[in-house]
Amino acid sequence: MSLAFLLPLFMVGFAGIVVPIAVHLTRRQRRNVVHFPSLMFLEKIPYQEQRRRRIQHWFLLSLRALALILVAAAFARPFLSQSDVGGLGTAGPRAVVVLVDQSYSMAIGESLDEARTEAQQVFDGLGPLDRASLVTFARGATVVARSTSDRIRLRGAIDTISASSGATRYGPALKVAQTILEESSLARGEIYLLSDFQRNGWTGDEGVRLPPGSTVIPIPLGTDEQLDNVMITEVSLPRQIVSGRERIAPTARIVRRGGDEARTVSVALEIDGQTIQSEDVMLEPDAAQAVSFRPFTLSQPHTTGTVRLPDDPLQADNAHHFVLSPGTSLNVLIAEGQGSASDVSLYLRGALQISEDGRFDVRARRSSSIRPEDLAGVSALFLNDVQIDGGSAERIRDFVESGGGALIALGQDGGWPASAADMLPGTIGQMQDRVQGRGGRLGYLDYEHPVFEVFAGPRSGDFTGARFYRARAFEPSDSASVLARFDDGSVALAEIHIGRGKVLVWTTSLDAFWNDLALQPVYLPFVHRLAEYLGGRAEPVPWFVAGQVVDLADPDALVTAGLVSSEAAGLADGLNQIVLGPRGGSTALPAGSGPRYLPLEEHGFYTVRQPSTNPDRPFVMAVNVDLEESNLTRIDAAELALQIEAPSGGPSMGPSFGEAVALEREDQERRQQLWRWLLLAALGLFVLETAISNWVSRSGAGAAAGVAAG
Amino acid sequence: MATSRTRPTAAGTQFLDPAVLGRIGNLELLARTVVDGFLTGLHRSPYLGFSTDFAEHRPYMPGDDIRRIDWRLFARTDRHYIKLFEAETNANFSVLLDVSASMSYGSHSLSKIDYSRYLAACLAYFSSKQRDRVGLATFDHEVVDYIPPSMKHLDTILHTLDRAEAGRPGSLEAPMLKITDMLGRKGILVVISDFYEEPDRVLAALGPLRARGHDVVVFHVMDPYEIEFPFEDASGFEDLETQEQIPVIPGKLKDDYLAMVNAHLATLQKRFTDNRIDYTLLDTSKPLDTALFQYLLSREKMSKGR
Repeated sequence: MSLAFLLPLFMVGFAGIVVPIAVHLTRRQRRNVVHFPSLMFLEKIPYQEQRRRRIQHWFLLSLRALALILVAAAFARPFLSQSDVGGLGTAGPRAVVVLVDQSYSMAIGESLDEARTEAQQVFDGLGPLDRASLVTFARGATVVARSTSDRIRLRGAIDTISASSGATRYGPALKVAQTILEESSLARGEIYLLSDFQRNGWTGDEGVRLPPGSTVIPIPLGTDEQLDNVMITEVSLPRQIVSGRERIAPTARIVRRGGDEARTVSVALEIDGQTIQSEDVMLEPDAAQAVSFRPFTLSQPHTTGTVRLPDDPLQADNAHHFVLSPGTSLNVLIAEGQGSASDVSLYLRGALQISEDGRFDVRARRSSSIRPEDLAGVSALFLNDVQIDGGSAERIRDFVESGGGALIALGQDGGWPASAADMLPGTIGQMQDRVQGRGGRLGYLDYEHPVFEVFAGPRSGDFTGARFYRARAFEPSDSASVLARFDDGSVALAEIHIGRGKVLVWTTSLDAFWNDLALQPVYLPFVHRLAEYLGGRAEPVPWFVAGQVVDLADPDALVTAGLVSSEAAGLADGLNQIVLGPRGGSTALPAGSGPRYLPLEEHGFYTVRQPSTNPDRPFVMAVNVDLEESNLTRIDAAELALQIEAPSGGPSMGPSFGEAVALEREDQERRQQLWRWLLLAALGLFVLETAISNWVSRSGAGAAAGVAAG
Repeated sequence: MATSRTRPTAAGTQFLDPAVLGRIGNLELLARTVVDGFLTGLHRSPYLGFSTDFAEHRPYMPGDDIRRIDWRLFARTDRHYIKLFEAETNANFSVLLDVSASMSYGSHSLSKIDYSRYLAACLAYFSSKQRDRVGLATFDHEVVDYIPPSMKHLDTILHTLDRAEAGRPGSLEAPMLKITDMLGRKGILVVISDFYEEPDRVLAALGPLRARGHDVVVFHVMDPYEIEFPFEDASGFEDLETQEQIPVIPGKLKDDYLAMVNAHLATLQKRFTDNRIDYTLLDTSKPLDTALFQYLLSREKMSKGR
């Protein structure tokens, strides 16, 4: 190991030490120079002031010189060279990183045991100066042991290897290995990649750039032969309201990969841990089948369910978990004018009442006045072509500010009192007819808005077929957002947020008088989305995928996770929570003001409850594995290793030998960063020198005054 | 104050302060101002030693003064001739001005070189008015300018003095030797310098001039700061000629310095006197009358010697 400099030219700065010496010797003379005709007599006088020509404060001078040397040395970028050029990549101690795949596909056969054995063999081969790290990875990477030569610690790290519920991703693991090698001061880096090498785990654009001199040694695990794997790829859980009770009719899609001949697979449905149904399905090799179960009644919240397949080599994708809670209907009030046509809300009411799961409880009121009791329990309010009086507008304001949603559909008679104009997202104008041609169309929809986002995909609802013949002009205010416009640019749907709620204005009618939207297939889902948005309903997610993270302090996230709003608000309020994982592990989530993230890393059911409580129906979240991992197609290990090494170490694509040496030196210097310490030391010396010189100057001035007086 | 050799100023004479002279840009005007003022204050006629020499004869013309007819020639030739005379210069007068860098020193508004230039201009003007042939030589370590003595060279001398600048190191011996060769007829030589050389070397330089029969008048020009050394702060003293610099604490050196300067002056005075060279120490803060009186004295001595 020797000291080297990356930019030795900066060592010219060492000459800077003459500066303090020159300053020391000449400072006093420069301060006051008297020009005199001749020094003929002065030079003859024996006594001369020689004091300033001598260096008096050697310590101060040394400090200054040393500080300057340190600064110059820092600019020269010093580093401790730990390898000779000739030894690059061929000799010297190694930094060994063992990457062990622990995705759930590694649970097939003896792959994990092989991984442990191979890792142990790598560690057994370490030299006395070698250092090894063990990193386990699936979707993410975890450093189990970092840059150690402690064999006992490495053996202990090997013992922690177990299969996870994640899918294989090589990128994060290789990035971690890259970081470890970059931080290492050893000359050579070796990465042992122990995996079943699924093709899905490598995209090629991971951006891994290994340090020069690093090599990747792939060690394939498992078997290459095609496995007969059956998996559940999808489960749909449609709801029905039968006799006022909510019933679920699950349908599972079963996919078989591999195999030689058709076989019968038994598919079981478990509810709350009990198998309630079992269906047999005949599956051809590389084929798929849908299995429909008989409806079951959903009566309890947080009902857990699992669709389960018989055991096969890959177990994790044989079960699909879900959690269901009985749905709560959304109370919708439709207000229409007293003098309006009787069928003014025909389509609207019909659309809201058409729902298999009975999600909307619709009431109608024909009056221009809205009473407080009318709004009791209502989540969504449709003001369909009705002229509202001022008192009702204020009651609606209170309703909206407390979290409700109102939609004002303008028609022939629709209007809004001027006293509450600030509740509208703009100013209502005159009627405008679009009678030329075939009428107007909707030209712009904000597909990022919750109302329209379900229509964003292809074949997800066509608004272009609807014709609009008449609408009210509408000038949106600055605080309003326009969600839909007609093809002539005029506003079709605008929104404004007031308090915790919102008010939407639909500038044409919701019946078939001014347009034929009500006759279009998209009308029903559009009205449903409007009502759900106004009522603030979020669609619960019956299951998560392993690797996702839930914030248990976020009520919206909890509602999405299947908790009803009131419970979610209570859970998010900040009480201490404890989470029981699928494998029995518990995670404490103490109360706090910040987010409480829960990583869902295992497949199965996560139960959330308060400590020391045992509720009958605790809050449960279902987690399923990422099915990408079920595709066991392999990538050639050597090819993968080449792709990883190529950007940095390939003989044809990589840098030349000289460049590699330069990179090596730069790399070592960058890792060590001795210049920071040198600059810090120089700074310290300058501070010390300033303090000492000030002290010397003060004491010297006092002494000089004494001499002058003498 | 080292002006013990200065004669008392004539009663009623008003002299201008050297600083005031410094504001007169024209050297001739300056010289006239000083000299005329000086002469006005004198009791005796300034036209000392005035005489005429025979030049030639010419035939008498009607209107000529009959008193100027040469009767002796008329007796021999029986013709009337007029005897013509031309004014005779009394002597060659040359100023040898030191323009070495040390002469540029000045602690007040007037530097030594300026004072010396004024002095040289006054003397030249004064001598020219006495119909002397005036010349000038400036020197540092060599002869810088040389104007041979002549009745018509006053303007040239004044012009040369006007542009004389002190800037280079100086020495006496080499230029004096050269000037000795240049000067033909003997005359009055006024040497103006600060004489920053050892007395032996000074005498060795001026001795040949005296040996050639010149009347040598020495004006030793010094700034009051050189004489009194009033410095207090510790400083670096830089030699104007060599740029050498030494640190000096004046309080510790003043006594030694003054003793050495006074010894130097005394030695110079003694050695010059011994060699019959008139020596006058001039303080640049004092009026020019001392120098003019000294010159006048020398002129008188020379006149008596004829």
